[in-house]
Amino acid sequence: MDCGMAQDTTVPKLNFEYWLDKAIEWGQATTLESQKDVCLHLPQLQEFLHQLYETIKHLQGPTVAIQQFPLIGQLLGRLCWNPFVIGYDESQKTLMWCLCCLYSSEPQNAVELKANSWIRSLLCHLLSSSKWESNEAETSTFISALGYTSADYYCHLVKNMVISLVTELRENQCNGLNIQESISASRVNAISIFCVPLITLPDLTPLLETLLLYHGGSSKEILSSEFLEAVNEAFLKKKISLPESAVFNLWLRHLPSLEKATLHLLDQLFSIHLNSLEEVACVIKDSLLPQAASHPAIFRIVNEIFKNALMETDGTPEVMTIIRVFTQLFLQAYQNENKQYKFPLKAYFPYHHQPLVRSLVRRPFELPTTYWSQHVKHISDMLKAILEDTNISSLTDLFEIWFLVACFGEWLDIAAEQLLKAAVEPGPVLWLLAFYYCPKNENQQRTETMVEAQAVYNHLMTLFSHTDLSLKDLEAAVHRVTGVEHCCNQQLTTHLLTNFLLFSSGGHKIAQECIYNITEITDTRKEVYNLLIHTAYRFNHSGEENQRTVKLMNELLQKFTLKV
Amino acid sequence: MEPVLGQVEQLPALLAVSRSALVRDWDSLTLDRALEWARYFQHLYDRFRARPQLREALGRRLRRSQPCPLLGFPALGCCPQLLGLALLENRALPPAACRRLLRSLLQPPCAGPGSDPRGLELLARRKAAARLLALPHHDPGPEPQLQAEARLLLSRLRQEGQEAGEAAGQLRWLCGALEPLPQPRAFGVVAAALALLKQGAEGDECTAGLLLSWLLGNQERFSAFCLCIPCSHLAFLAGHYSQLRRPYLDLLTGWGRHLHYDPLQGQWVKSCLDKAELSWEELRERFICLCQGSTPLKEQTQAALEFLRTQDGDFRVRGLSVWTDLLMEMGCSWRVEFQNL
Repeated sequence: MDCGMAQDTTVPKLNFEYWLDKAIEWGQATTLESQKDVCLHLPQLQEFLHQLYETIKHLQGPTVAIQQFPLIGQLLGRLCWNPFVIGYDESQKTLMWCLCCLYSSEPQNAVELKANSWIRSLLCHLLSSSKWESNEAETSTFISALGYTSADYYCHLVKNMVISLVTELRENQCNGLNIQESISASRVNAISIFCVPLITLPDLTPLLETLLLYHGGSSKEILSSEFLEAVNEAFLKKKISLPESAVFNLWLRHLPSLEKATLHLLDQLFSIHLNSLEEVACVIKDSLLPQAASHPAIFRIVNEIFKNALMETDGTPEVMTIIRVFTQLFLQAYQNENKQYKFPLKAYFPYHHQPLVRSLVRRPFELPTTYWSQHVKHISDMLKAILEDTNISSLTDLFEIWFLVACFGEWLDIAAEQLLKAAVEPGPVLWLLAFYYCPKNENQQRTETMVEAQAVYNHLMTLFSHTDLSLKDLEAAVHRVTGVEHCCNQQLTTHLLTNFLLFSSGGHKIAQECIYNITEITDTRKEVYNLLIHTAYRFNHSGEENQRTVKLMNELLQKFTLKV
Repeated sequence: MEPVLGQVEQLPALLAVSRSALVRDWDSLTLDRALEWARYFQHLYDRFRARPQLREALGRRLRRSQPCPLLGFPALGCCPQLLGLALLENRALPPAACRRLLRSLLQPPCAGPGSDPRGLELLARRKAAARLLALPHHDPGPEPQLQAEARLLLSRLRQEGQEAGEAAGQLRWLCGALEPLPQPRAFGVVAAALALLKQGAEGDECTAGLLLSWLLGNQERFSAFCLCIPCSHLAFLAGHYSQLRRPYLDLLTGWGRHLHYDPLQGQWVKSCLDKAELSWEELRERFICLCQGSTPLKEQTQAALEFLRTQDGDFRVRGLSVWTDLLMEMGCSWRVEFQNL
């Protein structure tokens, strides 16, 4: 596989021998193995053909091209007779362009004359249903007599073939128990291999869909992995559109495709700058993964991949944001599912404390606002009880619980908000926040965080209704953010402080300046930004009555966006 | 309007030239002009497509300009492709003109706008697809190639039906279209077209009537058709088209009458070996197929056989009347069928 790779030199070395050997091998063998080998090499071959075209289009006349690449005729000729190559993506286009370059308008010698005639017969072989292929001569006469061209004919022919195969597969699926009538697994496997080069041909869509929904009698996968991978690839690159059910089936039956789709989504989200959670939600929804996650098996695998991504990135806020939005969208899809086909929640979260899961999956808008603080307290109490349970001993167990809570982070934001806005018993709410920011309590870190948070909270509450605030009033709190070593304390304090600025009577006056101070001195830019976009997203969906808060929020976000 | 009509009259001549040896004298300028004409015709198609009166006038003029009127208004729409592919297949086209043709057909990168960039690539891709998907055929119906040709025939027939009007003209047109095909192929296409008309939304009494008139209008043709098409397919058609039942049964009756009983061999044999007729086994097979069809078909077949048996003296022993023996065979097969239920 030394071809098609990027070369250092400006003129890429065109490895004719390699591809000619391949073409000869493919032309002689008709086994499934050699067909798979063709499928495997199609993208590289296309790249090679493209380079070849770019090289020969500048050469003066076919004789020069033939002198420079003596094998060109043999190679192109053989490739033209390989339906896998001609059927694949844009290979047929590039091949025809290459042939076009070799055609001389004023043939000067016998070679050029011969090349001309050879090129025309190849093009006719590729394009017409004509005399060059004797068995189709009748067809050609008939369709031209009707005033149609081979383009119309092959359009109908392919559609008919697709319909016929679809019917065969569907009927077979229906009477799948009837052994005598069932199609052999090898036939289905062969169909799937023949489809590989044609996946992006729109006529094929019904057949792709039927194949993806088709399961033979045995539990073994009967579709070729080349096919499954190629369909997934084309779907991720948006080269084809498939019905949701077909995509879900692809991911259910082919784990590597599901992994690839999940990683592709993460890549996609990392490569764009996230201006709002609406954008994130849009990209995630577009991937069909939240909808597919209604199948518990898919949900658990995607969730596992996300968890790993979070650990590998040391818990960056961006990844956490993605996970939170994904979970919300999954819940939305899950709740829209028809009751009859709904899996129980336990199928998605099999190893967790079910009452806790049930509380976390409640969407805030399902509950009256007045009930929120009670719900937060309930979650906090349950968590505390679980942690005090002696069974939760290992760090892994602790992480699993933390991750579950983090996925439903909307309740944490509401907790922090309720702390300032509503008359709540602060203890349990502060404990919940402390757990989120400092899950471990080996050396009493969490207890310390709690004490710290309590102090900040008390201080902020004394200032909450002051309309005339100065930065100096908040100095103590700001200092706790900028001065401490424990990052958990820092993050929790930042969270409280940001909410204070948003919701208190006088916070709006000093918000810009205060946030500027914090983010300049500390490393909490990302945290504050993510906090703000989460809050903005929630406001947009459930509404916030206080117009001043909404205005301030937008101003702060704008500042952040400008700076990026 | 008259000048446009005059131009349209030139289309059949243009296509005829493009398929002839006359292109030998074409240079790249001639080729460009021809392609320009083709694009102009396509332009006319786009312009008049939605205006029935003008469309009809153009179609009429186009038909009038051909000895055997096969090209109608729709031909204007695909003129560049019709012309391009005809020229590509024409070996008489000299190199300079051919190179120009390839350039304009294949549209290398940065080609001018206004052309269908996916046209020929898509065609090559589809042709390759047809080869890849041509796995051993499982469907009991006609093969996909015949079906594709049948679909093209049907869509052209419908367009003709909209434009040409009177039935006699359409029948002439159909004869003209099917004539160049060798008989087995033409029969296959017509049978596939009749079957398609009974599937889904393609139903269309007029078109079916036309195909049946062509088929039944000539006794020899119909007889050849019935010999050529597999008996299960014939039974399917006879089940769906009541017009076919009587002629088909009459034909089978005629063939049956030519069988005579050979007491030495103890079986029915052909009276004349080389005549295009059916053997006893083939005849039996055909009747069995008919009796496996819909109830009316089955009843009509049975009634016909019983009537023939009565005519022959209503014997109930083997070897005297071919109809008695057929009914006995049918009786057996019915019983088997009944037991299988």
